[in-house]
Amino acid sequence: MKRLRFLKVTRRVFLDLRNDKRSLAMISIAPIFAMFVFGLAFSGQVKNVGFVVVNQDAGTQVIPGGPTVKLSDKVVANLDKKTLDVREGSSASAAEAQIKDGKAYASVIFPPDFTARVLAENQGASNGTVELQVMMDQSNINVANAITRAINDVLLKTMDQAGKKLPVTVSVDAVYGKNAKFMDFFVPGIMAFVVYLITTLLTLITFVGERTSGTLDRMLSTPLSETDIVTSPCIQRNWHGTGAPAASDRHPGVPYLSGRQRSTGFHRDRPAGCGLPGYGHPSLEHRQERGAGYSGASLRNTAGIFWPVEAIPSWLRPFSYIVPPTYAVDASRSVMLKGWGLSKIWIDIVALLALAVFFLTMATLSLRRRKD
Amino acid sequence: MTGSRSRTATSRGIVLPCRASCPELTRGLVKTFGKFTAVAGLDLRVKRGEIYGLLGPNGAGKTTTIKMLCGLSRVTGGEAFVTGLKVPDRHIASNLGYMPQETALYVGLTVHQNIRFFGEVYGLSKKEVDGRERELLEFINLSGWRDELVANLSGGMKHRVSLACAMVHSPPLLLLDEPTVGVDPELRVSFWDYFNDIKGQGRTIVITTHYMDEANCCDRIGFMRDGKLIAEGLPEELQRLAGVDNLEDAFLTLSERVKKQ
Repeated sequence: MKRLRFLKVTRRVFLDLRNDKRSLAMISIAPIFAMFVFGLAFSGQVKNVGFVVVNQDAGTQVIPGGPTVKLSDKVVANLDKKTLDVREGSSASAAEAQIKDGKAYASVIFPPDFTARVLAENQGASNGTVELQVMMDQSNINVANAITRAINDVLLKTMDQAGKKLPVTVSVDAVYGKNAKFMDFFVPGIMAFVVYLITTLLTLITFVGERTSGTLDRMLSTPLSETDIVTSPCIQRNWHGTGAPAASDRHPGVPYLSGRQRSTGFHRDRPAGCGLPGYGHPSLEHRQERGAGYSGASLRNTAGIFWPVEAIPSWLRPFSYIVPPTYAVDASRSVMLKGWGLSKIWIDIVALLALAVFFLTMATLSLRRRKD
Repeated sequence: MTGSRSRTATSRGIVLPCRASCPELTRGLVKTFGKFTAVAGLDLRVKRGEIYGLLGPNGAGKTTTIKMLCGLSRVTGGEAFVTGLKVPDRHIASNLGYMPQETALYVGLTVHQNIRFFGEVYGLSKKEVDGRERELLEFINLSGWRDELVANLSGGMKHRVSLACAMVHSPPLLLLDEPTVGVDPELRVSFWDYFNDIKGQGRTIVITTHYMDEANCCDRIGFMRDGKLIAEGLPEELQRLAGVDNLEDAFLTLSERVKKQ
């Protein structure tokens, strides 16, 4: 029977959980919520992808003296406007510049003799094919596949409508991410996310440690302001998260996890810290970790790690744009897959800084409200 | 009644007033949490350089009062003052030293690093911190433990380091929230020696405790119950007033008497 003593520990853990209704609710609801977000995000189609059309097609007169036919116009008209955000480009170089700057994902260039050659090939002129040049950012696999599919579909549809054969081959020129695989897309994203998660968890542990050990109260009684108290651990943990996560077990905040918050009687503590749920409860450190795990799952699903933000349903996208990992993942991919420097990823950095200021302000206000 | 030490029975309890020279610490102080009143109109006057003990059972409102004085908890009603400044005021922080119930130290730092950290937080220069650290380590008899991690210290040692951290900036007022809870009797005696030494330096100490036997060491004490001050005065005066020979019985008797009023 002694061997089964571990069951006593298991029972104790379950009893602890049963008495902690909020954790129980979190455990029940959070996975369902995470799966729901996962399902929504995963089932979404790629939409609103920047696509530049450079139409140099001069068209041709099927009947001498008759109207000029331009098959390229029909192709453009048939483009899937839900998937592609179609814009006109003046030249191939201008279109390429848009792709290089991240303003568009792809561009199609119709040559001046596109219609003439398609019609000629249909009449058996040379049994050759007409090459349609497509420039594309292939670093984002899902988006690249969606664009390729849209181009193939539109060519088939247009030729079918015109009752013609399809003597067109699409030549794809990768501006970024040539021969990129899913892993190339996934790894930079997950790296950025892991750094984000480690930073969040370490910050969380620091704040919980400060509260359970009483040092938070002690610091609040000093000339330090709430902003000082909130900002400094976040900056320090950000360094830890990005540079030295392995050293975290030596940090003063971490050992406090073994402590439990004292019974405060009628003292009603309000949430404090980085805006994450769980403060103000005897087993808050456990709930903080669980909370961070569940919010991590939701963030992962909407931050564009497994699939691009462009593939997330439009109504869910605003959520993607208010979570920091979205920008971290984007910046990480831009640097690793496109070789971009600060001059191009500054928007992501500004967004991250703005979100940092916002969340730190919320945390500071939360800490002030705790006094009530 | 100014300047006298005569007994007054008021709606807030039996009070042997402090002399008019005693600065006010709280005036009609109130703290509520929703419908629950934790502190109900508390008036306290504490003389400079005395040890004032706030005594009462758990839930009497002692810690809440201390937290309001430290600015850790917002005052719902009334006023609180620290060295003449009305709470909340950012300048108050430099004039008080707060020792919470927990040891509240960074266990991953050494004794030296903890004292240094709190010294720097209070704006002391490196030279000032070094000087204060030497004095304090000598005062708490931990000079030989300067470079030891706090995690490796015994509970009593941690309490002493915690006291040192509260005193590093030489505050005129020390607020000690049950500093002797969980401390063995021998160390408790040493702690009271420390407190008397601090008092000898001209500092004021407000101490909360629910150990009635400790209250005899205070210059004056205030009995608290249900957020109210039920009696205040010198320990022997309160015993005489209650007609008993120990503070525990004095508390129970006076508590009962106030209930009947």
